[in-house]
Amino acid sequence: MSARDEKSVTAKKKSRKKGDDAFELWLRRGLHQLFDDVTKEPVPEELLRIIEADKDS
Amino acid sequence: MADTFHTQIVSILPKLRVQALALTRNRAQSEDLVQDAVCNALNARDSFIPGTNFAAWMHRILRNRFISDLRKQRVTADIDDVPGELLSSKADHEDRLAVKDLGYALARLPDDQREALILVVLQGMSYQELAESTGCAVGTAKSRVFRARRQLEAWMTGDLPENDGLRQRASALREEVGRRQMAGNAARPSVSHG
Repeated sequence: MSARDEKSVTAKKKSRKKGDDAFELWLRRGLHQLFDDVTKEPVPEELLRIIEADKDS
Repeated sequence: MADTFHTQIVSILPKLRVQALALTRNRAQSEDLVQDAVCNALNARDSFIPGTNFAAWMHRILRNRFISDLRKQRVTADIDDVPGELLSSKADHEDRLAVKDLGYALARLPDDQREALILVVLQGMSYQELAESTGCAVGTAKSRVFRARRQLEAWMTGDLPENDGLRQRASALREEVGRRQMAGNAARPSVSHG
């Protein structure tokens, strides 16, 4: 492989890596927007009661 | 010891809720699933070996419960449930549409891939932890995340068959964004400088 070909392959790899990183960032952000509300909601009282009751038994 | 056990359960609830929503794609079903999994864990407390990975043990119980429920009844997916939640997010309009696309795309992934992706990308689980939590080999865990990511990327960049419903929906949404942006620009008064 000539030096020029190697350069071209490296450039393509770098570009793909950049694309992957950008998608990864976008994906993480999107998943947070979809799921963060769930983690912030208060735990249902009934569930906490079940856990407490088991603890006391 | 008992206190530690119950405290650990309460601490892990937010993560269990995310896993449950990833699996069921339905808020009401996910809340039921978490509650059932917690009850199973309380009943199976003696089978937990102190000093081992409690999170993995809990995630595995929830997953097994999901599979067991799935066998009992054919779960109907409610993909409208996920985008509906986005209405309360603070993201701007265009962002919301892109995330809505992501919601549709996630719903189309196989359950095990969607769960793996969310546990690793969103919750920061390692492949080893994912393997322990889902009862599979590390290689399988890696492969699930890789395939989910690649599939989503292909869908989100439009690399889909012509007759694909998701693509049509995503494309319609993008067109709507474009139309609204153009309408917004036309309605905005032009400002001259100087």
